[in-house]
Amino acid sequence: MEHVALWVAAFLTLGIISFLYKDNPWYKLCEAIFVGISAGYWFIVLFWDNIVGKFWVGVFPPKELNDVGELVNSVEPDYWLIVGAVLGVLMLMRLIPNIGWISRWPLAFIIGCTSGLYLINYFSSNMMRQVQGTIMPLLGMNYELSTYDIIGNIIIVIGTFTGLIYFYFSKEHKGWFGRAAKVGIWTIMITFGASFGYTVMSRMSLLIGRVDFLFGDWLGLIN
Amino acid sequence: MRVGKSTFLHLCLAFSLSLILILILLTLVSAQEVDSLRSSTDSAYTIPDSGLVLVAPVTSLIAEDYKYDDGEQLKLSWVPSIDDQLVDSKVLGYRLFRSIDGGTPEILAKLPPGTNSFLDRTVQRERKYQYYLETFSENFVVQSIVTAAISPEREWLNLDRGWLFIIALFISIAIIFFVEKAKRGHKLYVRKIAGLEAIDEAVGRATEMGRPVLFIPGINDMDDVQTLAALTILGRVSRTIADYDSQIFMPVSRSLVMTAARETIKTSYMAAGRPDAYSDDMVNYVTDEQFGYVAAVDGLMVRERPATVFLLGAFFAESLILAETGNSVGAIQIAGTARPAQLPFFIAACDFTLIGEELFAASAYLSGEPRQLGSLKGQDVGKGLAMSVIILGVLAVTIATAWDVEIMHNVHNWLLGVFSSN
Amino acid sequence: MKRLVPLTITFIVGFVLIFSVFLPPAEGLDQTFTLYFDIIAVFAFFLGGGNLMRVHINKLRRQKKDWGFSVVTIAGFLFMLAAGLFKIGNPGDIATAVDTQGSLFKTVFDYVINPLQSTMYSLLAFFVASASYRAFRAKNREATLLLIAAFVILLGRTPFGMMVTGWIPDSFSIFQIPNLAIWIMNSPNLAGQRAIIIGIGLGVISMSLRLILGVERSYLGDDNA
Repeated sequence: MEHVALWVAAFLTLGIISFLYKDNPWYKLCEAIFVGISAGYWFIVLFWDNIVGKFWVGVFPPKELNDVGELVNSVEPDYWLIVGAVLGVLMLMRLIPNIGWISRWPLAFIIGCTSGLYLINYFSSNMMRQVQGTIMPLLGMNYELSTYDIIGNIIIVIGTFTGLIYFYFSKEHKGWFGRAAKVGIWTIMITFGASFGYTVMSRMSLLIGRVDFLFGDWLGLIN
Repeated sequence: MRVGKSTFLHLCLAFSLSLILILILLTLVSAQEVDSLRSSTDSAYTIPDSGLVLVAPVTSLIAEDYKYDDGEQLKLSWVPSIDDQLVDSKVLGYRLFRSIDGGTPEILAKLPPGTNSFLDRTVQRERKYQYYLETFSENFVVQSIVTAAISPEREWLNLDRGWLFIIALFISIAIIFFVEKAKRGHKLYVRKIAGLEAIDEAVGRATEMGRPVLFIPGINDMDDVQTLAALTILGRVSRTIADYDSQIFMPVSRSLVMTAARETIKTSYMAAGRPDAYSDDMVNYVTDEQFGYVAAVDGLMVRERPATVFLLGAFFAESLILAETGNSVGAIQIAGTARPAQLPFFIAACDFTLIGEELFAASAYLSGEPRQLGSLKGQDVGKGLAMSVIILGVLAVTIATAWDVEIMHNVHNWLLGVFSSN
Repeated sequence: MKRLVPLTITFIVGFVLIFSVFLPPAEGLDQTFTLYFDIIAVFAFFLGGGNLMRVHINKLRRQKKDWGFSVVTIAGFLFMLAAGLFKIGNPGDIATAVDTQGSLFKTVFDYVINPLQSTMYSLLAFFVASASYRAFRAKNREATLLLIAAFVILLGRTPFGMMVTGWIPDSFSIFQIPNLAIWIMNSPNLAGQRAIIIGIGLGVISMSLRLILGVERSYLGDDNA
């Protein structure tokens, strides 16, 4: 059985790689398998985890025997979860043409929640903490800072400051403001370069992993 | 009765011996007391005969209400036993006991050496709790004092986040102020954003070439604010597509996004006066699986050969696979995400990239509505605040540390305090 | 009316969640929302899954190009639903987890989904190479900076970086490529990241407010729809 499964895995691996040459029936077959199987997979995982694990068990908790031999709920039922299920059912109203617009209610609920939650979360983690982190000394006196550290600090402060100027919408990038914005975009480009260079190596190791599977696990040519 | 000389001597001897014995006993007892006293305060020691490894108890055990919660936590802190050392510690750990409403104490937690605090999250407001700690060595246990009875309290306002609230409120008021100002007809200047200026041209190109526009709203669901940003941009892009009578197709990896995207495109087609041209088939669900979705979109790209590709929203490792495939079919690509790790790949493979904030500003910019543009002005107030604080803070800490100016130390510490409120 | 109700829902829910951050008694609301979201998402899947089936059945019925692959997709989807709902081949009773080792569901994941995922992911190695080549050909100053930074970081993560610049004396050790790479990561890279991240924080505030206040409402559809 495992031998067959290994061949199936190898067949699918080569099928996907064949896309690099060009679109072909082998890739199309792999793609069709991937889409069908994975869509089913995720529905099942979400169904058991969320509908059964969270909703059903939350509203109808499993029973257990208490000290006097009575069958009682193991935990308090959370009837508020029914609100979630009602919103879910409202979502399905899209299937009924005349009242399809009701499905906008759960959508509006989700959009309100996401906006409300992210507003403060992002503000706190992105703005407050980053501004705090940028408050750093630019001189080494009374600090054990090397020349490189000081230059580093100066670059961090100037880079962050000019980077923010680059994102400024209310003023045209002209004159000194334009020059500052230019420094800002240079800093941002160095950031992108660093991020790019940092990721290249790890991406190569992914390929090495697949080559290892084909020539090691499947063909047994390398140990 | 006359007492004989020898009897007297015997009595003296017996008395002396008794005295010596008593003295020896007393000395031994007092020495033991001193030692046991020392063992509970200074350091551990082993009684040679008993083999006990004596350890001192923890001190300063305090139970207090955990601030700014709903009355569901109590905070315990203490000074660990002085025999709790990093190396060769005699203390093997602590046992925390709790009694509820004066009942029998029960063990609550077993804690490793070095622990000096504990957060009890299993408390209720209407109950009173007392705690004590047992310090144990391999064969000896000593108990701390018992804390006073305490109940957790509910706080209605989280004062720790006071500054966060004030600063967020300030920026929100600035945004609302500019939205209202724009509504009243004040002209607001917003500079040109290249990636967004290119949208009309990109859609026009698709129309000219008779090829469709592909819109990918990232791979996250509606609980990601980047997906919401992508959908707001979709509203503007699909309006242009409807106006130009171009075609759009949008494979998505989340069912909720599919529903929301259909609503969005439908609205745009209605607004453009072309409701008949709209079809639900413009948006299709593929699969929730990240790479399954990528495999399908890659296939679609090479088969349908879109003239224009929008990659806007939350992207992960698949960003480059999609962008490079789009590039290989010769599409104009406009990308944008708030995930800094994926931005370099978009920069390398796409024609225009909306960097972070530009993604969230895009729909306001594209709408051209004064109210929406006003919100961008409000954002800039936030940026101005951030820049001012950075300058002030950097000056303060630099002067404070270089020349030891007290007022600058105070300014620096105050700013750190304000911006650590989160 | 069709717009007013959803706009009101977004407004109320949005503000309640904003204030919940500052009101300890309301702090658990974010978790409640996550639970609701998870439940709604599964209901929505009936729409998504239904759409997937409809698209491929139509393709099949109309015998469109490549309809044969649609048969495979439908079969794969239904097969996985059956394997997972009825827990086919699960060692143990129905109460065991659906992805228990040895079940048909888990076996298909291990030998079909997993290799497909890993291979698709590994294609990135080729795409990184082609993107690097394109970046290398770019002629403007910004692209050059990106390329230099990428090159230094890349070399700094390999032994080659030390081989090339190991001769530089210790007093100038910052110019040894591995050290230079660390310095770039800790200084200019951090500065750029910070500017982007602060901007995102402000962008999210602004967009969220537009949505909550109903200034941005394109997602809500039209009253006549």
